[in-house]
Amino acid sequence: MSTIAGGRAARRQTLRRIRPRRSPAVPLLLAVGAGAAGVIWLWWSNTPSIADDNSKILNAGRITGLLAGYLMALVVLQMARVPALERRVGSDRVARWHAMSGRYTISLVLAHLVLIMWGYALQAGKSFGDIVQQTIDSINQLPDMGKAAIGTGLLFLIGLLSMGPVRRRMGYDTWYHIHLLTYAAVFLTFWHQLSTGNEFAVEPTAKTVWYGLYGSVTALVIWYRILSPIRLNLKHRMRVEAVIEETPGIVSVLISGRKLHRMGAEAGQFFRWRFLAPGMRLSSHPYSLSAAPRPNMLRITVKAIGDHSSALRDLRPGTRVWAEGPYGALTAGKRSRGKVLLVAGGVGITPMRALFETLPGAAGDLTLLYRANTTQDLALWDELAAIAEERGARLMYAVNSPEGERPDISAETLSRKLPDIDRHDVFMCGPPGFAQQVYEALRGAGVPARRIHHESFEM
Amino acid sequence: MKKSHPLRRVVLAGAATVSGIVLLLSLKPASDPASASAQGAAPQQSVAGQESPQGGSAQQSSTGAKTVTGDVAQTQYGPVQVRITVSGGKITKSEVVQIPSGGRSTEVSNASVPKLNQEAVAAGSANIDAVSGASYTSAGYKKSLQSALDKAKASGGGSAGSTGSAGAGSSGSAGSSSQAPAAQAKTVTGSVAQTQYGAVQVRITVSGGKITKSEAVQAPKGGLSDQKTALAVPKLNQEAVAAGNANIDAVSGATYTSTGYKQSLQSALDKAGG
Repeated sequence: MSTIAGGRAARRQTLRRIRPRRSPAVPLLLAVGAGAAGVIWLWWSNTPSIADDNSKILNAGRITGLLAGYLMALVVLQMARVPALERRVGSDRVARWHAMSGRYTISLVLAHLVLIMWGYALQAGKSFGDIVQQTIDSINQLPDMGKAAIGTGLLFLIGLLSMGPVRRRMGYDTWYHIHLLTYAAVFLTFWHQLSTGNEFAVEPTAKTVWYGLYGSVTALVIWYRILSPIRLNLKHRMRVEAVIEETPGIVSVLISGRKLHRMGAEAGQFFRWRFLAPGMRLSSHPYSLSAAPRPNMLRITVKAIGDHSSALRDLRPGTRVWAEGPYGALTAGKRSRGKVLLVAGGVGITPMRALFETLPGAAGDLTLLYRANTTQDLALWDELAAIAEERGARLMYAVNSPEGERPDISAETLSRKLPDIDRHDVFMCGPPGFAQQVYEALRGAGVPARRIHHESFEM
Repeated sequence: MKKSHPLRRVVLAGAATVSGIVLLLSLKPASDPASASAQGAAPQQSVAGQESPQGGSAQQSSTGAKTVTGDVAQTQYGPVQVRITVSGGKITKSEVVQIPSGGRSTEVSNASVPKLNQEAVAAGSANIDAVSGASYTSAGYKKSLQSALDKAKASGGGSAGSTGSAGAGSSGSAGSSSQAPAAQAKTVTGSVAQTQYGAVQVRITVSGGKITKSEAVQAPKGGLSDQKTALAVPKLNQEAVAAGNANIDAVSGATYTSTGYKQSLQSALDKAGG
């Protein structure tokens, strides 16, 4: 890269490599909508008429039930780690979809339960107040309802534990392992859909479609969450090579393995790492690569925030590593322009560091803005300076003043530093508050939203 | 990175879902045009059968059996409608064409309707006892039965050819006890065909080598199947009469019931033939 001198020819060569890949989010959302319309149509075509209020309640229960059954499959699919979702749409966005559609689905399940049981109670000559007794009766009388009741209870428990205030009080690992019970809940609630669902009892095609939907989601989960990681780890056999303290509180872990460049990881992506050391086997955490993958070496750089990240410091060389990935869409594929500004906040430097090293570009095309509390907190600074010098890239930092005053990052200061900022693609990684501030400053400086690429794991 | 408004999103999603469902529900008609026409068509079909050269007409007048359908009586759990066959001034048969169904109602209906039918035939009037545990259904039944009796009276005793007459077919099914019709109308009940959703059993009335009436004495029930049964059985009855054999089309959306129906129908035809 360093041999490419600046100038027009070099820029043209750079641009030729830029083929921004569109996120498949919009077609995917359209497909999801079409599926929902199909589910509604299924109900529509199987319901000749609605005579009275009682039937209205029952039919509202059927619609909510059908939609919940459909969305349930998609909620699981979103977490199946399908590469198209993880690497093209972006793991962060998919995780937010998952949280959103999960909440919506649980609400639909609740509405379905109440409406159907209310409708049955009315039919039996009872009132809304007898809904609990009616639910018990239905569990006893209708097929697969016992299973469905357990599954629904699990779903509500999982939904409750995933609510912000409750979740923050639990350890991530505890929460995660309880969350895995969703698979059991979905399995348990599946059967009553087919055996008591009006639409499935009479429409064999609908049954086939439902089996197809749940079957393919199951296959994808098994393939991408179990078999793919097994294959990846058997092939690459990763181990901890060394642990290096970069700054107080930030460590880099070097991971060796076989043919690591064949994993298809790109700069800007991350893996979910599980270190097979005592006390760490059960938890798997996402950390970005802080350097471009080399054939025999990967590197992650981690700030000690939680138990897991703090324990990384004490990893012994030779510890087996189980990785899943690569995930993440914050890669060179997002780029649409020749000029790129990378913005890093704190330990958000890790993917930016890898991109700074690898994004194709002529001298003067790349700029990295690095925000940290103090100059001592600027981890990997020496490497960044070396890359900047070698590539003819600009490197800037913003730290608090000695009095602890925050640096001024606004539309004006950004425009002053980079007069042609509105012609840049911006890649950004940092804590949510910082990212929000920079985003607004960038928009103010004239950078269109579609050229600000950002990953955030805030729900 | 656009500012997210979680609360606004929740309200929007909730409002959109609720209004979507309310819209869907309100777009559905209150009564089913398809099944209403199927029910209306069934008697006409049997009339057509009787008008055929082979003997239909012969049976009709000799007994003066007449089928009259009463008004729909609305009950708390749904509509009740009764159809009676009157012959010689007596109710020879009483059956329901509409009855509350779905979930618990099905159980109640299943338990009470045979008793009410029996009582109606025995009493010969609408002055019948309510079935305990099914007081609403019984009341609706009596109301519809009374209106059917009124209609039968109004149309004038035993005169044949009133609208919707199913003629000998019905009298045949009641005929096991008394009134033997002039022609050899014979009622045969097929064997029970088990389907995934329950038993299906068909009873046919054969007269002059033709099926003049076909009805299901058993069909899948229970919560969710009976909506389908209500839709499919009238069509299947109609088809059986029209085809004159068990080679009838399955009703789409009720494949299992249709298959069971055909099986039982075939066995009834075998019995009738032998």
